Amino acid sequence: MNKVMIVVRKEYLERVKSKAFLIGTLIGPVLMGAMILGPTLLADVAGDQDRTVAVIDHSGEVLDQLRAMLVDLDEEHVTLEALDCGSDVDGCLEELKSLVLGEGADAGLVIPADYYDRPELTFYNTAASAIVLREDSLEPALNRILRAERFRRHDLDPAIQSELMARSSWESRHLTEESDSEQSGEVGIIGGIMMVMIIYFMVLVYGQQNLTVVIEEKSSRMVEVLLASLRPEELMMGKVLGIGLAALTQVAVWTLAGVVAAGQGVAVAGSQIDLSVFGPWFWFNFLVFFLLGYFVYASLYAGIGAMCNSVQDAQQFSGTLTMGMVLPIMLMMLIIKTPDQPLATVLSLIPLFSPILMFMRISVSNPPLWQVVLSWVLLVLTIWWASRTAGRLFRAGILLYGTSPTWGSLARAMRG
Amino acid sequence: MTPAELKLPPIGEPLLEVNGLAKRYGTKLAVNDVSLSIPRGSIYGFLGPNGAGKTTTIRCLMDIILPDAGTMTLGGLPLERRLRDRIGYLPEERGLYRKMTCQDQLAYLAQLKEVPRREALLRAEQWLERLGLSEYVKRKVDNLSKGMQQKLQVAATFIFEPDLVILDEVFSGLDPLNIELMRDLILEEKAKGTTILFSTHMLAEAERLCDAVCLIEGGVKILDGPLDSVRAAFPFRVVRVAYRDGKEPPADLPGVLDRRLDERTWRLELAPDQDPQALLAPLTAAGELSFFSANRPTLSEIFLTAVRRRRADVSGEGSPS
Repeated sequence: MNKVMIVVRKEYLERVKSKAFLIGTLIGPVLMGAMILGPTLLADVAGDQDRTVAVIDHSGEVLDQLRAMLVDLDEEHVTLEALDCGSDVDGCLEELKSLVLGEGADAGLVIPADYYDRPELTFYNTAASAIVLREDSLEPALNRILRAERFRRHDLDPAIQSELMARSSWESRHLTEESDSEQSGEVGIIGGIMMVMIIYFMVLVYGQQNLTVVIEEKSSRMVEVLLASLRPEELMMGKVLGIGLAALTQVAVWTLAGVVAAGQGVAVAGSQIDLSVFGPWFWFNFLVFFLLGYFVYASLYAGIGAMCNSVQDAQQFSGTLTMGMVLPIMLMMLIIKTPDQPLATVLSLIPLFSPILMFMRISVSNPPLWQVVLSWVLLVLTIWWASRTAGRLFRAGILLYGTSPTWGSLARAMRG
Repeated sequence: MTPAELKLPPIGEPLLEVNGLAKRYGTKLAVNDVSLSIPRGSIYGFLGPNGAGKTTTIRCLMDIILPDAGTMTLGGLPLERRLRDRIGYLPEERGLYRKMTCQDQLAYLAQLKEVPRREALLRAEQWLERLGLSEYVKRKVDNLSKGMQQKLQVAATFIFEPDLVILDEVFSGLDPLNIELMRDLILEEKAKGTTILFSTHMLAEAERLCDAVCLIEGGVKILDGPLDSVRAAFPFRVVRVAYRDGKEPPADLPGVLDRRLDERTWRLELAPDQDPQALLAPLTAAGELSFFSANRPTLSEIFLTAVRRRRADVSGEGSPS
């Protein structure tokens, strides 16, 4: 058997047989699902937080309408507490302020006497979270009250009024060559994000294993024994492949379980995500970007590991590399909003970013074929470069004990 | 599984030959034009103090670092990667996978030397038995004492039946019992026809085992050859004396080449034709002796003398006269 394959076999079996792998395979989807759906589900379960708003209503009539409107708009978690001012306007305002500053109210609202003519409201708050209360609950309600009143002033027929106040309702249908399926765009995005997150987690978790494995091999003084039998490049390749195969196995198990579960009529990871909207092109790219992404990062992590003597030592270098995965995640909203703008296009072609960004574009849009193919080519070239560089780092660093590398020594070793 | 092309020379003929090996680290020449010839079936001692360049030379032999110059041949063939599968190597920095079972550990390392898997597992079991570790076959390396782990490392070096074995500082860190065991193992393997190259800074140990030696210092070869011819090249005698009152021996003794205080006795190096007995009279005339011995020089004495002579030569060449 080829020596690289002997290393692959050992690294693969060692991982797949471990308890950590079993646990990871079992709870991975649960964790991932929890991370993506959790916030939404939690918000649903928890409902809205009860909020109290202290109100000074100089008009004397808007407050009651607001109460009714909040009920209409399903915003019953907002409690309005009226302050009776009488003639002492200033004292009343002070009382409102002290209520907001204290525990008495979450926010304060002052409605002017001539609200229908000059709808200028004052909102008092102590925390930024109160803005949600203003924008989601109070503002829509008061706007509707204002509109209704102005319609009334113009003597509009109530029937016309309700027609004017009507809101649109939406249904999205996902269009493919074969059919259009009933699916909201939002659900497609969540499915896409989920698959992007799988690439993100798997590339990081398994990529970084190459770093720790190489460092362990150095600190257990195993490395020179092995180098008597195979080249540093072969040793590195065996490790990267073996660990990658374990990652692939895990993804395969999840996919298979997902397919079986879907076949049983159980939706994947909760009822909201239906991955069936994605066609073969999507899945093919998932595999391509997952594998290419893994190999780029794994070989670079392995090379860094070879230069360092401890994980702490490696932190400054591996941390910088990890930014290559984290940055695209931070840019994900930009890609979702403008997937085909020049900025998104350029960013998604950068090899360290493309496993996340190009794949994200594929899942939310239809980037031109040439761009997708270009990103593959660039990634493959990067892998070629990265494995050569890592091989050099390996040869330079693998027998260095005791000295911590610097950016300078790293750069020298990379040039070979 | 010797590669078909590798024809082992007859016992006693050179198996491994190194010519003009050099390795530079930055501005420091770690190995400077070292040439070696290691006869098949011999135990070859590669000797020198710490930092002499032994490990660098060995790492070049194993293709772990790339030499700047020099050629290496095994059985007359250029020493390529493939041929290195015939060489067992136990580095000074040696470890084990702690979480692997003893059998898997040995079998993995054997497989990496091209032993088929089944055969490797079988041999691993046999070796563990030979080392008295039968009960540990399926147990993790973690369960072994340090001495046992060292036995396992040695087994891993020999398990694929190499033609040449390189042991780097194999005795360092071993207790006397394990040194004994290691010595027996080396002799057993030699009896099978295996060639053994071992490096050490413990010259006394080398003297007991070696058929041939090479001494290096500061990256430069000082001397090499079969132990007998090395001895023959340094035919001087060493006399050690001490006086009861601790005084110095007279300075005008006949045939004394070198005279120095060494570990509380005076060490006198005699010219090859000087009879040590002839010194007794002038020595006793000078005072009451508490100690007198006359010996052939030990390997370490030969080494020290050779280094001193070489330094004298170098500074002699360097002077303007």
